[in-house]
Amino acid sequence: MRVPLSWFSDFVDTGLSPRELAHTLTMAGLEAEKITTIGDGWDNVFVGLVARVEPHPDADRLVLATVQAGDHALTVVTGAPNIASGQKVALALAGARLYDGHVEGQVLKTLKPGTIRGVRSEGMVCSEKELGISEEHEGILVLEADAPIGAPLAEWLGDTVIEFEITPNLVHAFSILGIAREAAALCDKPLRLPDAPSLSAAPTGPADLVTIEAPDLCPRYAAVVIEGVTVAPSPPWLQRRLLAAGLRPINNVVDVTNYVMLEWGQPLHAFDRDNLAGGRIIVRRARPGERIETLDHQHRDLSDETLVIADAERAVAIAGVMGGVDSEVSNRTTTVLLESANFAMGSVRATARAQKLRTDASARFERGIDQNLVLDAAGRATRLLLDLCPGSRVAAVSDVYPRPVLPREIQMPFREFERLLGVRLEPETVVDALARLGFGAEIDGDHLRVTVPTRRGDVTLAADVVEEAARIVGYETLPETLPTGETPPVRRDSRHRLSRDVRDTLVGCGGFETVSYVTLHDADVACFADGAGVGFLHTVPRDGLLRLRNPIQSDRAVLRPTLVPSLLEVAAANLRHESGVRLFEIARTYLPSGDTLPSERTVVCLAMAGRRDPIGRFGSDDRRLADGDRHPTDDGHLDFFDLKGSVEAVLDRARVAVRFEPATHPALHSGRTAAVLAGERRIGLLGEVRPDVAAALGIETTRVAVAELDLDAMLDLREPLAGVRIPRFLPVAQDFAVVVAEATPAASVEAALRAAAGPLATSVDLFDVYRGSQVGTDRKSLAYRVVFTAPDRALTDAELVKVRDRIGKTLKQRIGGELRA
Amino acid sequence: MATSVQHDLEELRTRALADLADAVDAPAGEIWEKTYLGPKGELTLFLRGLGALPADERPTAGRAGNALKRELEAAWDSRHRILAAADLDQHLAADAVDVTLPGRPPTIGAAHPVSQMIDELSEIFALLGFQTVFGPEVETAHYNFDLLNIPADHPARDVWDTIHVDLPGEIVMRTHTSPMQARVMEQTEPPVRVVVPGRVYRYEAQDASHEWMFHQLEGLAVDRTITMADLKGVLAELARQLFGPNRRIRFRCDFFPFVEPGVDFAVDCAICGGKGCRVCKQTGWLEMGGAGMVHPKVLAGVGYDPAVYTGFAFGLGIERMTMMRTGVDDVRAFAGNDLRFLRQFAGFA
Repeated sequence: MRVPLSWFSDFVDTGLSPRELAHTLTMAGLEAEKITTIGDGWDNVFVGLVARVEPHPDADRLVLATVQAGDHALTVVTGAPNIASGQKVALALAGARLYDGHVEGQVLKTLKPGTIRGVRSEGMVCSEKELGISEEHEGILVLEADAPIGAPLAEWLGDTVIEFEITPNLVHAFSILGIAREAAALCDKPLRLPDAPSLSAAPTGPADLVTIEAPDLCPRYAAVVIEGVTVAPSPPWLQRRLLAAGLRPINNVVDVTNYVMLEWGQPLHAFDRDNLAGGRIIVRRARPGERIETLDHQHRDLSDETLVIADAERAVAIAGVMGGVDSEVSNRTTTVLLESANFAMGSVRATARAQKLRTDASARFERGIDQNLVLDAAGRATRLLLDLCPGSRVAAVSDVYPRPVLPREIQMPFREFERLLGVRLEPETVVDALARLGFGAEIDGDHLRVTVPTRRGDVTLAADVVEEAARIVGYETLPETLPTGETPPVRRDSRHRLSRDVRDTLVGCGGFETVSYVTLHDADVACFADGAGVGFLHTVPRDGLLRLRNPIQSDRAVLRPTLVPSLLEVAAANLRHESGVRLFEIARTYLPSGDTLPSERTVVCLAMAGRRDPIGRFGSDDRRLADGDRHPTDDGHLDFFDLKGSVEAVLDRARVAVRFEPATHPALHSGRTAAVLAGERRIGLLGEVRPDVAAALGIETTRVAVAELDLDAMLDLREPLAGVRIPRFLPVAQDFAVVVAEATPAASVEAALRAAAGPLATSVDLFDVYRGSQVGTDRKSLAYRVVFTAPDRALTDAELVKVRDRIGKTLKQRIGGELRA
Repeated sequence: MATSVQHDLEELRTRALADLADAVDAPAGEIWEKTYLGPKGELTLFLRGLGALPADERPTAGRAGNALKRELEAAWDSRHRILAAADLDQHLAADAVDVTLPGRPPTIGAAHPVSQMIDELSEIFALLGFQTVFGPEVETAHYNFDLLNIPADHPARDVWDTIHVDLPGEIVMRTHTSPMQARVMEQTEPPVRVVVPGRVYRYEAQDASHEWMFHQLEGLAVDRTITMADLKGVLAELARQLFGPNRRIRFRCDFFPFVEPGVDFAVDCAICGGKGCRVCKQTGWLEMGGAGMVHPKVLAGVGYDPAVYTGFAFGLGIERMTMMRTGVDDVRAFAGNDLRFLRQFAGFA
C-alpha cells in the first residue's frame, strides 16, 4: 500500500519526519517497506511556461518551444505531440538527472545541451516517465495553471511516498485514511475526516433499483445514480495522487472510484446506467453456463458459486473482483450508477482464486471490510464526482442493508493484561490507549468492558484487546523474565543423538556434510529405476513415487526416495573445481505408506569421487596415498574401499553388527556393489556408480562410490556397550597367510578364521593380498594378523600351536584353503 | 706394594684421564671406554693380572686398582653424559625442519553450518529447559494451517506460499515448523517446553534472500503462568548466547494467525551496537524471527483451556541466524553445497 504523504497529511499532522513516521507505524504493526521521494533527483527542473511554439525549420515532427522560467526564456526542441503555448510544463536544464524515456525500465541519464537538426536546444520539456512519476512517455507532463513559473518542480510536485506491507488482519489500515487513523492514535493527534456528505437527503431510488438475491454473499449494497456526468480526464492533482499511490488515471469517473478506494479502503464500481438492462442491479449467483467479458477483455466462465452483479438480463460484473465491459463507463456515459457494497470475504477470495484474478478490490474484500463503510465511501465519491462534473446531480440513492452490524462488546477481566503480558498496566493507561484507537473502554470493578468499532473485525477476543493496548503503550516497557513453574524433564532425542554421532564420525573420516534439495530430476528417476521400482536402498514403484503438485522447477517434481542422486549432483558440481570429494548427508527420504502422510525414513548417504588426497605435499611416501597391499587396484583415487571404510566406521560408531554381501543395483557397477545386512535385514547399500550413469550425471573422469544406510534401522539395531575390561595379560599376535581359490570372498576366509580361532581371537585384520607364482594361478593368498588374548591367563605356546592346527583344518574343510608357511 | 706396580697404575691413571679429556665426541668416547674399561681394557687386564703378583702385594694393589677403576668409571660417566648430550644436539641440529612449512593435513571434513546451528540452538534451549523434538516435513493442511488458526479461504494462508504434495487430501510440504506446536500439545499435558528444528518449504522464487527450502526452529512453552515477558527473557537469553552478552531484544507488533499478541523480534546489531551500519541497513536492529503468545484458538483446538493456560511460541530462521553471525550474504549458498563454502565452516560454532 503506497501512501503519498501529501495525501496522508490531509487527515493528520503527526509532526514526524517521514522516517520517524515510518518507524512509528512499523513498530505498531504497519511495516513500512520503502520510503521514496518523488522529485528527489529533480535538481535543475523547474516549472516553465510555454510562451510560443513554432515549427522546426528542418524537421516535420519537431517543434521549437520558447519556455519561460523566471527571467529567462529558453528555446527547447521537442517532439512532444501535446505541447501548446500557455501550458505550464516541467523544464529540465542541463545537468538535470532524468530517466531515459526511450528505453524500458528506469535508466538515469544526465541532460546535456545539444543541437538537434541545426537548432540548439537549451533544455527539455519532460514526460512523466522522464521524471520518474509514471511510465507515460506519449507526451509531456502538463502542470496545473496555477503552478508558479520558475519554481523548482520538486516544490510544486514533490512528494514522499511510504510503502506499507498490510498484513491480512489489518483491513482497517488498508487505506490512506486507515493508516492516518493509526498514526493519529499512535501520536495522540486528532484525525480530520474528509468531506463526505450524508446521502440521506438524496432522493430514494425505486424499490427495484437494487435487489439482493444472495444475501449470504452480499450483506449490503448501496447504489447512487448520478445524472449529467461529463466523462473527461481528471484534474492534474487527482491524477498525481493516483499515480503517486500507484494507480493509472483513466477518466474522472473511474478515477474517483479508485481515489475513494485508496482513501477509505472501500472498493467502488461505476456502471454506465444506460447500459444496464432495466437500469437496475440484481446481486445474485451466476447462472449455469453464464459468461462475462471483464474489463481486462477476458471472457470468463462463471460457476454457480460466483457472485455477480447483474442487470435485468445478464451479469455485468464479478462482485468484488472486476466489472464487465458491457456496462463500462465511456466517453459517451452521462448517467453513472455508483456501486458501494459489501461482499462476503470467502466468496470474493474463492472467486478471485478460481478466476486467477487478484485486483485491488478483491484484495480488500477478501480481508473482510467493515459493512458500515459503504455509505461513507459512497458519499465521499459522490461529493468528488459532483465537484468534478459541474451540472451533475444525484438522481437516486438505494441502500439495501437488511441486518446492520453493531459494534462488538468484549467483557474481560482486567488481570488478562498482566496474565498475558507479565506486566501490570494501569487501568487509565489501557483506557486511554483503547480510546485513541476509537474503542470504547470502561472499567467495571475488576473487569473491562470494551466496545470495538465495526471497522475492527479482527478484534474479537480478550487477547486481541491486550495486543491493541500493548502496541499503543509499546513493547519496550515489557520486562525480561524467565518462565517460572515446573520444568518438564528434557529428554534427548535418540535419532538426533545418533545423527550427531554419525555426523561426527563422517566428519572425522574427511566427509563434508551437505544439505541438498529434496526433489529429484526426472533424469535421476530414469537412472535409478529398474523393474522393481525407483530408488536406492529403498525402492518405490514408479507409479508410487511421491510428487509435488507445484514444484519450483517442473522437471524436479519427485520427492526423493533416496539421497543418492542429490549427492551425485553435488559431487559433479564440486568436481569442476575439486580434485576429490567426500560428501555425506543425513536427511529424510519420502516413501509411500498407505497412510495419510508418507513415511519419512532418515538415511545417511555418502558419496566419494576423485583423488584421495588433494595434493602430494609430502611426497609419495605418504601412506595414505596408496594402499596397494590390500587393494591392488588402488591408484590413489577414492573407490569402493574408501567408501566401505567410512561405512564401517559409521556402523562401528553406532555399534551395529553387519556383514557385507555382493549385491546389484541398476545404477551400480555389477562387480563393486554390496548390501549391508544386519541378520537378514538389509540396512544399507553401497557401490561404485556405473560409468555410464556417472557420465549421464556429469562425472566422466573418475570412479564415484556411493552408499546409503538406514539410520532408523541402525537405531533399532544398536547393541549396548557392555562387558568392557582392561586386559590383564599381554596379547599374542600371529600371522596367517591363507591360500584360497580366486573366487573365494575374503569374508568367507575371515569367517572361517574367526570360527576356528574362537573367543581367544580378539581381532582379525587382513593386511596383505598376494597373487603370483608362489601361490599358483587362479589362487590368492590373504594374510591376516590375528591377536589372541585370554582374559584370565597368559597364553602358552602349546595352546597357540593347537589353535593354529585347528585353524588349518577348518580352513581346509570349509573353504579349501591352505595355510602358507 | 712394589713401587713399579704403583707407578704403573699412576701412569695408567694419568694417561687414561688425559685420553678421556681428548675424546671430543661420542665415537672417541666409545673407543676410550673400550681401551680402558672394556673387557679387554687396560685396567680390566690389570685387575685380572693381580693374581700373578706376590700374595703380600695383592691386597694393596687390588685396592689401588679398584680405586682407580671407580675413579675412571666416574670420570667416564660424567664425560659420557657430556659427549652423549653433544651428540644428540648434533643429531637434532641435523634433523631440523622449516617449522613454517604447513602441517600434514589430517583428513577431516566439516558438518554443514545448518546442522551446527541446529545443534547449538538445541543445546542452548536444553539449558533453558526446552526439549528438542522433530516432526514430519510432509504435513496435512490440518496441522500446517487449520489448527494454527489459518482457515482455508482466508487471506492469511497466502502469507505461506505453499508447495502441495500430490496425495489425497490437502497434503503440503510444511511451510513452517509450527505444525509441531499442535502435534506436541495434542500428545502432552502442560507444562510444555519444546523446540522443533527442521526443514521447511515455500513456493518461492529464489534470490539472495529467498530459498524454497530452508530451516526453522520453532519454540513453544505452555503453562499456567507463561507471559510475554518470559518470551522476551528467553529470546534475550538466546540473543546473548548467540551474539554476545550485551545484546538487547526488541519486539515489534506483527501478525501471525497462531499468536496474539504477535510480534517480530530483533536483536541490536553487534557490529555497530545499534547505532546503524551497513550490516543492519542503518537500522541498528537485525530481525531474528516471529513470536507471540499462543492464540487462544490454537490452545482450545488441542484441548487446552485458554482460561487456565497461556503459552508463548517463536520461530527462528536457521540460515538467517548463521548469516547474521558469519556474514554470509546469499541464502542460496546453504543448499548450494559448494565445498569452497562448506570448508569455511570447519571451525564454526
